[in-house]
Amino acid sequence: MAALELLGGGFLAAFEIWAFLTIVTGLLVGVVAGALPGISFVNAMAMALPFTYVMEPTQSMLFLGGIYVGGVFGGSISAILINVPGTPASLPATWDGYPMTKRGEAKRALTIAVTASATGGLVSALMLAFLSAPFATFALKFSQPEFFAATLLGLVSVIAIAKDQPIVTMVSLLLGIAVGTVGIDPLYGQARFSFGVPEMESGIRFVVVMIGLFAIGEVVDLLATDRDLRPKKTGGKAIGAKLADILGVKGAIARGTGIGCLIGMIPGAGATPGAVIAYGIEKQVSKRGDEFGTGIDEALAAPEAAKNATTGAAMIPLLTLGIPGSAATAIMLAAMMLHGVNPGPLLFIMDPTMVYTIFAAMIIANVLMIGAGIGVAQMFAFLMRTPPAILAAFIIVLSVVGAYGVRNNIFDVYACLAFGVLGWGMKRVGFPSAPLVLGVILGPLAERYFLTSMANSHQDWTVFFTRPISGTIMAMALIFMLWSLAPAIRRLIRHIRS
Amino acid sequence: MTTRFAKTTLSTAVLAGALAFGGAATAQTYPDRPVGMIVTFGPGGGSDVMGRTMARLMEESLGVSIPVSNVGGASGNAGLTQLRTNPADGYTIGTLISLTVASWASGLGDNKPEDFEVISVIQSSPSFLFVPANSPHQTAEALFEFAKANPGAITVATSGYGTQDDVTLKLLADAGVTMENVPFQAPAERYASPIGGHTSAIYEEPGDVGQFIKGGQLIPVVVFSDKRHPEFPDVPTSAELGIDISGLDNYRSLAVSAGTPPEIVAKLAEAVATATASDDWKEFCSSTYTCITPVTGDAAQAMVRDFRALIAEQLAN
Amino acid sequence: MASAPLSDKSGVTPRAGGRTPSGLVQHLPSLVAIGLLAMALILPGMMFESDQRPTAVGLGPAAWPRAMLLGLAFFSALWIARDIWALGGAGRRPTLSMPAEDGEYHFGKALIGLVMIVAYGWLMPIAGFSVATAVFIAIWCLFGGVRKPLVVVPVSLIGTVALLWLFMGLALMPLPRGAGAFDTFSIWLLRATGIY
Repeated sequence: MAALELLGGGFLAAFEIWAFLTIVTGLLVGVVAGALPGISFVNAMAMALPFTYVMEPTQSMLFLGGIYVGGVFGGSISAILINVPGTPASLPATWDGYPMTKRGEAKRALTIAVTASATGGLVSALMLAFLSAPFATFALKFSQPEFFAATLLGLVSVIAIAKDQPIVTMVSLLLGIAVGTVGIDPLYGQARFSFGVPEMESGIRFVVVMIGLFAIGEVVDLLATDRDLRPKKTGGKAIGAKLADILGVKGAIARGTGIGCLIGMIPGAGATPGAVIAYGIEKQVSKRGDEFGTGIDEALAAPEAAKNATTGAAMIPLLTLGIPGSAATAIMLAAMMLHGVNPGPLLFIMDPTMVYTIFAAMIIANVLMIGAGIGVAQMFAFLMRTPPAILAAFIIVLSVVGAYGVRNNIFDVYACLAFGVLGWGMKRVGFPSAPLVLGVILGPLAERYFLTSMANSHQDWTVFFTRPISGTIMAMALIFMLWSLAPAIRRLIRHIRS
Repeated sequence: MTTRFAKTTLSTAVLAGALAFGGAATAQTYPDRPVGMIVTFGPGGGSDVMGRTMARLMEESLGVSIPVSNVGGASGNAGLTQLRTNPADGYTIGTLISLTVASWASGLGDNKPEDFEVISVIQSSPSFLFVPANSPHQTAEALFEFAKANPGAITVATSGYGTQDDVTLKLLADAGVTMENVPFQAPAERYASPIGGHTSAIYEEPGDVGQFIKGGQLIPVVVFSDKRHPEFPDVPTSAELGIDISGLDNYRSLAVSAGTPPEIVAKLAEAVATATASDDWKEFCSSTYTCITPVTGDAAQAMVRDFRALIAEQLAN
Repeated sequence: MASAPLSDKSGVTPRAGGRTPSGLVQHLPSLVAIGLLAMALILPGMMFESDQRPTAVGLGPAAWPRAMLLGLAFFSALWIARDIWALGGAGRRPTLSMPAEDGEYHFGKALIGLVMIVAYGWLMPIAGFSVATAVFIAIWCLFGGVRKPLVVVPVSLIGTVALLWLFMGLALMPLPRGAGAFDTFSIWLLRATGIY
């Protein structure tokens, strides 16, 4: 009951005019930044950090929280409309959202996406408000072997989402993991594959790879095919989403939300693995699993719900333990520390108003997101009426700025352009690029979780199977892999027999 | 080799260009445009908070804005390379910390102590061993006793192999206290591991785990310094326990590229001194247990040089 | 160019006007597999620079990349084997199928586009963000079919200043100012636009 009372107070504080305007501003900044190709919500949050100096501590958290919530969704706008994911977490939205746009159903796709995202985010924010304390204790039981098992589940999902081409998917994934090993290794501080170039020691960041592979390749194809981005005339008026469409994907949204809430609590994982695992599981669960990739509602809804469901969940370890699990929450920690506020169990005792105002703000932000998302999407649809050449030029400039902004380093721009050329070539020969990006994201995580687990267990690899939670997740990953490979294995057996 | 040569030629060209055209950048008018602050690590860490606090405080005395940019990567070397290759006109300042200096000793990056002019070392703190509140070994004596009797049974969360953390554990092992080094790359996961009971102890400077100390989740048992820490007068030094380990303190400094005109360095040093004398800064440094009397000039330069040599010597053993 | 998860099967149903690669051309992607196999076998030997100290504790920094490259080599070999099998029989398709286009694909245009983009990245640290961007937007528009000077000039200049204001002014990003005279020009421009 005390929690409800405190949350009520939080709502009152969050609805005060300046607080509310801060949330709305943050939300809009997040959606727009997320939607711009190249500028991810992490970029936007880092750029917003100086503005929080002049704010009150609570207000700065509302601002960053708004950007976080809005930005995680915003990436899907450009993913659905122009096939360029605004953030890595929106990768799955390109697989089924963009085909819907091609059919002239952009508006319907966006409505499904924003509803699913907001639902996932809202459930996650409610969980943050009511279950923080017990979940925090539970989260502490997770250690490196569990993180490794969960990352492995993410890697298995990558194979699951492309079961027709397991060999090529594996090659692409492993290539991505290999790219992820460039630079200083996580434990020994030694530079790998630097080839004598000091800049290579910094490694290659996944955002840079993603911008290169997707944004640049797409723009070059736009130029080469004289394709038009203007909304297609479908004869009648644009098809919007009906309530029945949303109700039709409620199962997918529920599953995605559940997965996102769980994955979000795992440090390091965050929105992208959440979305990919949700997509993989949905593909197995759904009756229309074989049609995934051609513009299926469930295939869009599940990952969208999952990625926003990670937002509230990721803030649980931050606020309750003072442990940021992702780049976004690390920036929030910085904002708090710059104001002399230390998150952790003490914060709940010393400043419950602040904590519960943040909770309330996360709930409000997710509700408001439906409006903000649709509004910004309409603005984008309007922008797409400009001639493709002008639009393409600005996408490239934004991509280059985005790559530069990851670490304010020109080397990242060069890397991004190199991956742009590579990505274009990969598309020409039909080599899948999504597993490569996911490999660059998940590979380094898997490596350090694996090596630290080994170091903490006297190099005994059975630790992954003997610890109860880790063992369970490993078993799930194994079952999931066999399940998703079953059709391919059956086909192979049939081939050999005939 | 060719790339390095090309870089040098390029930076020479840049420098020549800046001298030829940018004649306005004289010491009298300095600073007449924003001074960039390069934080050599990503947002959210100790360097970031230090750089941003310092930038905010220095803005007042310098009278221009000091935008902060995070240039992370390669243990801080990526940002330092940028600092080194930017014109040496005082319009770029960078953070230089002990971790990066230690990385030079293990062969990372192509930066050297001579490439930088240290304005001032403004934060420093010795490291401690902390145990979780429910640990069976609540004192250093008990912990070391147990480690002596059961070599390798005590696991210590550290930042990596080949770091100050590793050097300290090696020195302890030489004295018979053998503990297992468990490196965690992500600081947040490192702090969570002893609290969650996954490691027996953690090697860290107190400022980074301040909220866990105040919350009673982590208990300091020993400090690796030649004297007790004023904020933790009850925590014994390792020397008191018969193992003398010191000189491996974590320090953070601000630096500019070598060759920056001395008048400009002096102006910056003055701004830093004003900032560190402010109440704002004192509050910040005491909350992170890192207050020191700032070290400037040749002493600061020597500190960096000697630290690199010390780590190199320890790693060679 | 986000490839759909089923990229290699879905959305490639040949449409009117599309062309599906045939004959020997469709076996070209197999060369990718051969290249990757070679790379996966060569790279482990190039992991470290000679002046690095080897570390003896634990699995070492080389274990993970080695294992992953071994995996890459294995699956590349599998891919090659499957493609050889595909060569042997009529009606068998190679592992990777080149996508068919909806309409004609102008390779020349694509290559020029790539060159322009790479040139933009190369020019940026030399000429500075503002000059490089203004030039890039103008040339890209001209090449992309937007030729009216009354459109190209304002779009490139106003666009550049707007981006400059947004990223250097508002977001405080230290975008490259360029070298030598370009640096002086950039500082002048930043002062003129009120950013500095």
